[in-house]
Amino acid sequence: MSETSAQEFLRKAAVKSADLVHRDIIRQGIESYDAAHLRGRLRFRDWDAARQKCREIKQEAINHLDKYLLQFEEKVRARGGHVFWAANAQEACQYVTDIARRLGVRTVVKSKSMVTEEIHLSPALEKLDIKVWETDLGEFIVQLRNEPPYHIVTPAMHLNRAQIADLFHEKLGERIPGNDPTKLVALARRRLRQSFFSAEMGISGANFIVADSGVIAISTNEGNGRLCTSVPRIHVVVTGIEKVLPRLEDLAVFWPVLATSGTGQAITTYSTLIGGPRQAGEADGPDEFHVVLVDNGRSRLLADAEQREVLHCIRCGACLNTCPVYRSVGGHTYGTTYQGPIGSVLTPHLAGLRQYQHLSYASSLCGACTSVCPVKIDLHHHLLHNRRNAVNSRGSKLGERMMFRLWRSTMLHPRIFVFLSSAGRRLLRLLYRMGLAGSIVDPMRAWNRYRSPVPLPAESFRSRWRKGLAG
Amino acid sequence: MPVENPSRELILERIRAGLRTPVAPHPGPRSDAVIFEPIRNPLERFQQESTANLMECTLTSDLAGAALQLGKILDSLPAGEIFLQDDPSLRRLIELTKTQRPLRWSSEGAPREASEATVSLAEALIAQTGSVLVTAECGGRGASIVAPCHIVYAHAAQLVPDLETALGNLFRSGKLVRNSFACVISGSSRTADIEKILVQGAHGPRRLAVILQTGR
Ligand code: SF4
Repeated sequence: MSETSAQEFLRKAAVKSADLVHRDIIRQGIESYDAAHLRGRLRFRDWDAARQKCREIKQEAINHLDKYLLQFEEKVRARGGHVFWAANAQEACQYVTDIARRLGVRTVVKSKSMVTEEIHLSPALEKLDIKVWETDLGEFIVQLRNEPPYHIVTPAMHLNRAQIADLFHEKLGERIPGNDPTKLVALARRRLRQSFFSAEMGISGANFIVADSGVIAISTNEGNGRLCTSVPRIHVVVTGIEKVLPRLEDLAVFWPVLATSGTGQAITTYSTLIGGPRQAGEADGPDEFHVVLVDNGRSRLLADAEQREVLHCIRCGACLNTCPVYRSVGGHTYGTTYQGPIGSVLTPHLAGLRQYQHLSYASSLCGACTSVCPVKIDLHHHLLHNRRNAVNSRGSKLGERMMFRLWRSTMLHPRIFVFLSSAGRRLLRLLYRMGLAGSIVDPMRAWNRYRSPVPLPAESFRSRWRKGLAG
Repeated sequence: MPVENPSRELILERIRAGLRTPVAPHPGPRSDAVIFEPIRNPLERFQQESTANLMECTLTSDLAGAALQLGKILDSLPAGEIFLQDDPSLRRLIELTKTQRPLRWSSEGAPREASEATVSLAEALIAQTGSVLVTAECGGRGASIVAPCHIVYAHAAQLVPDLETALGNLFRSGKLVRNSFACVISGSSRTADIEKILVQGAHGPRRLAVILQTGR
């Protein structure tokens, strides 16, 4: 019988959390992010007011989504661009592959876009023998490794420079002395530059789509997104319907907030607005401009008023960075396009509650994610909502129901409680003495397996309470 | 070529049906608080922020000073073609530098891949983030991304205090209706994808130089 997603998660989590090299790379990466994020927040006079403002703007956008999408569409069309509405991944891929086929595309350059990962666009293009180049450095690295992105903002965060140098040596045939990051970047630049100038199609995502101006906004530091959208003769934008902002001026707060939460920068180096193909009198730019608005489960999430705010997410990655579970098990363990807290909340809506309900339990419910989210999504409560919805939809297992019944009657009957807790303490003491802590017969195995056994108190809280908690 | 799009109505209908259930207003405070520190001295702030962004910003008092500065930057670059936004002020400026390099103007098309530098104007300079705002009118899209060095010639009068003002002006001017592209550029191209170590010159310019003329 093949492994379920939940079993796969547990297996990979066990391996990754014991991988000390991985842990060290992630710790260093996140420590440097934490410091930059903190410095970045101090640039605001009132960071919390910025978060509140973003929340209000997104709430307005999402609660008038039809109006704003239509406004956006009208403005793009007025500049000669095309807007296609895709109900699901298959329709979106079909539209893009049809364009590629019609215009004889052989090479595509892509800038980072999580929606294209979600709909598996690259494999669809590759089936037509089209060469697809990921041009964001992190994406390029994971593409060479044949891996999905590890993180929604920093896709190759799990690799150190030595591993990247080895990869480049193996795949690009060049050895960089001393694994120097500057030279590694230069090598990637040289390789990708040829692709930018030979590709017929550039594909990008959009960080935002701005209704009143009919433009998409893309934030990139490397400039790969700029080249993808400037040089090839076709530009295709693939984005989720929820990325809308009502007004251009909203970016005055969203750009700094996204950059601060994503990398700690004051603003991303290239904050770009694009609203159509090359216009009359413009020196360059693509002849064709297409925007694919992807639903793929988002309108279903919109209909759930309790969880609608999940659509406010601006994919900054802050909740991943702060999550103690993500830090331990790493991005690939989730087996999903979106990882970490937002992935655990969102994936059951996009890809099915039954298959991905286990992700709601991959959380200590500490609330760190909610406290950093720049659009104030109540992430950890949404994990609870998903747990509840999963139980309501599938019903609970017999064993689980029996355990809860037992727990309930124990809690309602003090005598049973006293008896069971004292028996439990004795049993554990005996097991520990026999050296069986963490073994298969230890009821505390989940904890004791990898740690020194939980110390057992000499007497119960109850008896200490009776004695007035003295001593 | 119009494409059939049956899902358009379907998605809009789903959105409208979903929105029939309203959400409860968020209990948080309304965001009337001041989010960013007000900017008292835009020029000083621009200089600070652009330095932090690893840009070069040189102040000059007049056109002759700007030409001198441009000449110096061009002299520091390897031999090769320079791409320029076709604008009378830049034609005058480049003439004053007496450069012998091959020139290509934006009226002739996109910058060539092998251009050594590009020279353009800006729509505005943004003090808050030390940024340069360009649109397609500033020599096109490639003018600020293709060559390893991008030189911007701007006037102090183009300084605006913050992003909100810059974006508000951009919207009201109607420039985005006419232009298919605009970009707020805050430094040279960079990446930190390898162990979070900052490396300049990822895919775009390694060098972004602003020649900021304070007088006429
Ligand atoms: S849920 Fe919030 S913190 Fe997490 S990626 Fe989205 S916007 Fe960022």
